Amino acid sequence: MKILCDRQQLQDAFSVVGGIPPVKTPNPIVQNVLLRAEGDQVVFFATDYELSARSVMASVQVLEPGAVLLPARETGQLLRELSEPTVSLAGSDDHRTTIECGSGSYQLVGDDPAEFPAEPQFDGTVELQVTSGAFLEMFRRTSFAVAREETRYAINGLLLDYDSGNLRLVGTDGRRLALCHQEIEGPDEPARAVVPLRALQALGRAIDGEQDAVLRVQLGDNRIAFQLGTTTVISQLLDNRFPAYEQVIPKVAETSIEVDRLQLERGVRRVAVLSSGDVRMVRFEFRDAALLLSAESSGVGRAKHTIDATIEGPSSAISFNPDYLLDALKVSDREIIRIDMTDDSTPARFALGETYTYVLMPISGS
Amino acid sequence: MIRVLPPEVVNQIAAGEVVERPFSVVKELVENSLDAGATRIDVALDDGGREAIVVVDDGAGFTPADLGLAFVSHATSKLAQLADLDHVASLGFRGEALASIGSVSRATIRSRRHDAGGGHEVHCDGGRTGDVRPAASPPGTRVEVRDLFHNTPARRRFLKTARAERARVQELLARLALARLDVDFTLRADGRELLRLPAGETLRERVGRAFGNALAEQLVDVELGQGSLRVEGLAGRPELARRDATLALLYVNGRLARDRSALQAVRQAYREHLMGAVQPVHFLLLAMPPDEVDVNVHPQKAEVRFLDGRRVSGLLFEATRAALRGSGAAPRAGAGAVGVGGDKPRAIVGLPPLPPDLFGRAERTSGGGSSPLPSGLRAVGAADRGPHTAAGVREAGAEPAPDALLGGLAGQPFVQALGCYLVFATPAGLVVVDQHALHERVTFERLRRRHDERGATLVQRLLTPEIVEVGAADKAWLLDQGEVLAAEGFVVEDFGGAAVAIQGIPAVLTRARPAALLRALLDGDAACGPVGEPDADARPRAREAVVERFHSMACRSSVMAGDRLDDAEVRALLREAARCEHAHNCPHGRPTVLTFTGAELERFFKRRV
Ligand SMILES: Nc1ncnc2c1ncn2[C@@H]1O[C@H](COP(=O)(O)OP(=O)(O)OP(=O)(O)O)[C@@H](O)[C@H]1O
Ligand SMILES: [Mg+2]
Repeated sequence: MKILCDRQQLQDAFSVVGGIPPVKTPNPIVQNVLLRAEGDQVVFFATDYELSARSVMASVQVLEPGAVLLPARETGQLLRELSEPTVSLAGSDDHRTTIECGSGSYQLVGDDPAEFPAEPQFDGTVELQVTSGAFLEMFRRTSFAVAREETRYAINGLLLDYDSGNLRLVGTDGRRLALCHQEIEGPDEPARAVVPLRALQALGRAIDGEQDAVLRVQLGDNRIAFQLGTTTVISQLLDNRFPAYEQVIPKVAETSIEVDRLQLERGVRRVAVLSSGDVRMVRFEFRDAALLLSAESSGVGRAKHTIDATIEGPSSAISFNPDYLLDALKVSDREIIRIDMTDDSTPARFALGETYTYVLMPISGS
Repeated sequence: MIRVLPPEVVNQIAAGEVVERPFSVVKELVENSLDAGATRIDVALDDGGREAIVVVDDGAGFTPADLGLAFVSHATSKLAQLADLDHVASLGFRGEALASIGSVSRATIRSRRHDAGGGHEVHCDGGRTGDVRPAASPPGTRVEVRDLFHNTPARRRFLKTARAERARVQELLARLALARLDVDFTLRADGRELLRLPAGETLRERVGRAFGNALAEQLVDVELGQGSLRVEGLAGRPELARRDATLALLYVNGRLARDRSALQAVRQAYREHLMGAVQPVHFLLLAMPPDEVDVNVHPQKAEVRFLDGRRVSGLLFEATRAALRGSGAAPRAGAGAVGVGGDKPRAIVGLPPLPPDLFGRAERTSGGGSSPLPSGLRAVGAADRGPHTAAGVREAGAEPAPDALLGGLAGQPFVQALGCYLVFATPAGLVVVDQHALHERVTFERLRRRHDERGATLVQRLLTPEIVEVGAADKAWLLDQGEVLAAEGFVVEDFGGAAVAIQGIPAVLTRARPAALLRALLDGDAACGPVGEPDADARPRAREAVVERFHSMACRSSVMAGDRLDDAEVRALLREAARCEHAHNCPHGRPTVLTFTGAELERFFKRRV
């Protein structure tokens, strides 16, 4: 293989797949990225067997078609350092590739491309279409709530739940739940999948530059494929036993509060400074058209902060882990948010946007 | 046909109770010497005691008439009547020891009273006693026991190697000697001196000689009196804790005593420092009127019974706790010895064999803080860990001053090494923090505080209960202990079948995985003892065991060995650790932070000797 290409295009195409190869693996060949030059394009492909990604770099000057394997980590680091406009790549028979750029020449030792896992072929049974930017936004608003645990248990992924033209993304770690939805083009029959966070993160890197493109989501029995232009991300799905999230969202509330989101975010942030003792906890008291935030850290100090609020229903109090709340307030874009709650031991519901709901479980005495 | 056993045989059988091994012979003979008022006792072993055990003292000695009765059982000068049994002040009282020893060996006693013109000797071979004959002897007594168990081959086969027997004798002598600082002890084996404990030294000095200076410097003074009871001695810092209880020593009226509940009381005082199966190190001397303690409950006299055990336990607990509270625990690298030889304090202080003086010397040269330490840092322990640390008791309710070393490290540049060590270069030297151990400490104190402050612990409730399948026995236990666990913030409910539902976890552990917490709780540390006994008397203990197991589980599952920590996390960890009461060791007693001073590094690199 021998090619001449644009440096920026090379960096972009590589970055989509460069994060996939595993750091530790019994099969080191997958620590490489495959580059295959044919016609006037180069295909990039990487996999860790569960997750794979493919990207394409077009309008390349292919001097000699063929394939090479490049070590993912070193190549990624090297490409980020390059700044001249044009790059040439040339493979040799002993699996070495020479990258030349400006007055620099770099030789990277790869492996035999014939040994590399084949690209998965996949046709889903259901196809959904959504605007890439909107999907990315939903992802940002829900992914932080996903449990970060090294197991294949369902809450370690994000739930994609489609039903009659409505796509929902749901993330939960058992203490809080974030839900976003969106009207989209799609079939009549419902579909559901729990997607590993990593797959969506890889997709996020690809979407970054393409906010208005069409993202095609194909769902199969235990796999999912995302297609955005020439980029494809295919992933195994997680165990489908996601908690019955709709039951968790409170339907009724005794007290409803409306507050300014920015004021609330700022207030919680400040008060939380003094909740860094044993338990991260901020107390919310709703009464007399005001929300009183307070926190105390034994031996360090205490904080109080009042915010104007519209309150419907009896006065009440509830305590939350401030970090859990801030995570969601940060990605909300609403000016006024609503909080619905009943008592200090049942979940509170935060309406953080037209299509954005957040449910948070309080901290209480045993 | 029923026959009365000949007395030798009766004695051989009885001997099994008193004399098991060379070390039990030494124990009896040394106790006799102490009872005889000796100020100097020399013990010598040949071939680990198989060939010969010789004990020489400068005590009162035997009259020739007494010598004739020495090997006769129930012959004792120490108990005239049964009534005396109520207040035994001497170590021996049964009149059994010499008879037993004589029945299973070839023993010779040569003795002379200080006021007598000349000495006498008597010989006993397998229980057959010879005549008392005049013999040349200095004032005092010399007992020689040869060919132990020559007539009971089965027992002789049970003897361990000479080395092992020697080690046991050495350990025994060291332990006996701690109760009698006024007596000079020497142990020789095959002509070589193994132990020399001169009279008149302090308890700490003697512990240093017997168990190593590194250990002796990690002890705090204990002292407390209550009415007729009084305890004094030394308590080891938590980081000395070890797997076995061989150095958890309690002396009652100069007698080494093994009283479970008394030792348990001392262990309780360590509870806020230690957990799990580790045993503290302590040397506590309890003094009390002889009629308040019964020593006649064990053939080897190792156990005692207190008239008022509760009072004794209370005193021991209070005294030990006050001593530990008054000392900031803080190991230094030299004391824990990285790179010099053993990896844990236990490896160094363990007997046998006695440690070389390596650490003793290292301690001395690096001790006094020759270089001034700027910017709020101090060498760990330089100020508060002199060999004679007083047991100051902190005023009740006073906030502990934040730990200057750890507090000073917060915000300093560091590198994370080998996945779990944070290394800081400070003016005082290289400070290495075990992030895992430190985090355990922080979590442990958090849990403890949550538990102490209010009856109710804060619970992070779960949005969706986590359903976990457990075995029937596990489930029964969980539901049984539901209240105790809920008080700790762990809310578990029945979910039918073999499953339970976790409804809430302690808010201090909010990031932990509920199911992992449960598993760790069930797997637990078996050493935490039996749980859930229905016996009403065992209930409070069961509750404590449950709580202890819970804390131990929580610590283990909340930590981050191998996790990369960013600057902010390290800062937060160090800040919180600085406010911990016992920041310098983890709840299992391992150190959390070690300082390698410049002088120590120079020694490691052989720049200085
Ligand atoms: N080293 C010694 N110096 C002087 N007298 C001794 C010495 N050893 C033993 N005796 C005398 O011999 C007696 C018998 O000793 P022995 O050890 O058999 O019994 P005991 O010490 O009275 O009781 P116990 O069986 O509990 O040890 C003692 O009571 C004491 O009078
Ligand atoms: Mg005796």
